[in-house]
Amino acid sequence: MDSLIAASARALAAGDALGALKRVALRDDPPALALRGIAMAQLGEHPRARELLRRASRGFGAHEELARARCVVAEAEVAMAMRDFGGSPRALAAAAATLDAHADRANAMQARLIAARRLLLLGRLEAATAALAPLDARDLPPSLAAVAELTAAELALRSLQVGPARAALARAHQAADRARVPALLAEVAEAQAALDRPAARRLLPGGEQPLRLGEVAALLASDALVVDACRRGVGAGDAWRPLARRPVLFELARALAEAWPGDVDREALIACAFNTRRPDETHRARLRVEIGRLRALVAAQAGIEATARGFALKPRDAREVVVLAPPIDGEQASLVALLSDGAAWSTSALALALGASQRTVQRALAELEAEGRVRSIGRARAQRWLAPPLAGFTTILLLPAALPIE
Amino acid sequence: MNSTTASKKDKSPVVPRAAEIVREYGPFGGDGSVAGVTHDGQRVWAATGTRLVAFDPASGETTRTLDCVCDAGTAFDGTYLYQIAKARIDKIDPASGKVLSSIPTPGHGGDSGLTWAEGSLWVGQHRDRKIHQIDPVSGAVLRTIESNRFVTGVTWVDGELWHGTWENDESELRRVDPADGAVLERLEMPRGANVSGLESDGADLFYCGGGGSGKVRAVRRPRATKA
Repeated sequence: MDSLIAASARALAAGDALGALKRVALRDDPPALALRGIAMAQLGEHPRARELLRRASRGFGAHEELARARCVVAEAEVAMAMRDFGGSPRALAAAAATLDAHADRANAMQARLIAARRLLLLGRLEAATAALAPLDARDLPPSLAAVAELTAAELALRSLQVGPARAALARAHQAADRARVPALLAEVAEAQAALDRPAARRLLPGGEQPLRLGEVAALLASDALVVDACRRGVGAGDAWRPLARRPVLFELARALAEAWPGDVDREALIACAFNTRRPDETHRARLRVEIGRLRALVAAQAGIEATARGFALKPRDAREVVVLAPPIDGEQASLVALLSDGAAWSTSALALALGASQRTVQRALAELEAEGRVRSIGRARAQRWLAPPLAGFTTILLLPAALPIE
Repeated sequence: MNSTTASKKDKSPVVPRAAEIVREYGPFGGDGSVAGVTHDGQRVWAATGTRLVAFDPASGETTRTLDCVCDAGTAFDGTYLYQIAKARIDKIDPASGKVLSSIPTPGHGGDSGLTWAEGSLWVGQHRDRKIHQIDPVSGAVLRTIESNRFVTGVTWVDGELWHGTWENDESELRRVDPADGAVLERLEMPRGANVSGLESDGADLFYCGGGGSGKVRAVRRPRATKA
């Protein structure tokens, strides 16, 4: 490294991005471009930072593949902060391999961590879990370990594994503490607070009770028959039947569960499942068919018996019946509750699950997006909707250690 | 000097040999990296970003520190220290630590490596792969030697010009022909032992700054010419 690069890198390491920039502002050699890129990234000028890092990585010679690989990692980190997922995962994987080959383990791990976080943000939860699994947080520098644990916690929360999520958050807290990065500590605290916020309401005959995520998970794990209007499905013990793609069955299950232990009359069931006020014989026939389907689906947990005026839910083995609803009422709350599984949903799937028109769902999504409560990836027919990450860590830049110099 | 065969500007590759690391010193604190080294006859000085650290090579103990900006090469002319800081070379009184005068660097801040020899300062220009001989008073460039590798340290010993290189995590000590820059001898450093700063002790050893490792390594100087 030469003298001004050293002086600039020292300023950067001390948190003086402007001082770092000043020393190399007029230089266009690759290490200077890389330093300028990092300084700009730290100042929040992400598009400019990415351009500089790209130029730097192109400028490094054939014999400087290590420096180039670090630039690729930094660029991917900046792209993630911009929520731009257009980059090539292959370039990142190649950079990780190069860094491994040069025994730069920390930066190689960082490259892999970025790849896992990218999959998480794209709603590809299984792929994200698979990408994260081989990374051992104990081998990572504290700041990276904190991010790895936050990612693990987020994945656990999305699948309602509250215990593992809490454990991961505790480890994230320790790591962030060791890293002494205030922003990271704040992210961990924020994620921990998410665990204590109401995640659903339990509807009771005389009112309702707010539930935290841990209580929801406990209910779902219990023996009770849970009709969950957040995730649109029916569960009892280990069995979970998603009904997001079968809205008629879900509405029937919900109506029966809300009336339990009483019954619901046919007219009311027809009204809620088929959306009509003037039922005729064909509706009655359809109701019999749909009830038959629902009966088959929940046969192990409950029976559905015909009564004089309609149908009643009869859980087996003296199970309790519980109805969960989103924490607040309304189309938007239902959308947010559905998206809380972390997967990427299409507008049509959301409309189908909620039994609303695509136009209605699109309008609600647009309002939620404007408030930053949902986000979308892709365009037109490929557009998918996602819940924002519980931990906002994606905006924290953890640029590669010892990046531009050497 | 046996230069009858080597001084030819032939392209015949010089076979590298493994450098023999005799001892490691440090790290010394500062910002954790060593950017330059020099030798004042008794002590080794290491530039660590914000402090010049002098240590006794026999015991390895730090004997003196001077607070000053030291980003790259360090040199000693018998009385004063010279230190590259940002885009200038400071002349420093080792007794008081005071900066006596400053001259601009020939590489405008792209400099790495500094040594004193024959009344001149020799400055490595890192990515431009050059070594400049400059007037220590005015900073005027007297002549320029081209290398074919990044220069990260320069030293003269017994009429031999050596420089350190560091590209892509690979480092060598290279003896070059001061007339045309032709490579005469190559000592390959082990992987991860990178060279930022180079100084001979005038006898059998080179001291190499170890960059981000924060170490100074003593490497045995080959005596091929006497064999």
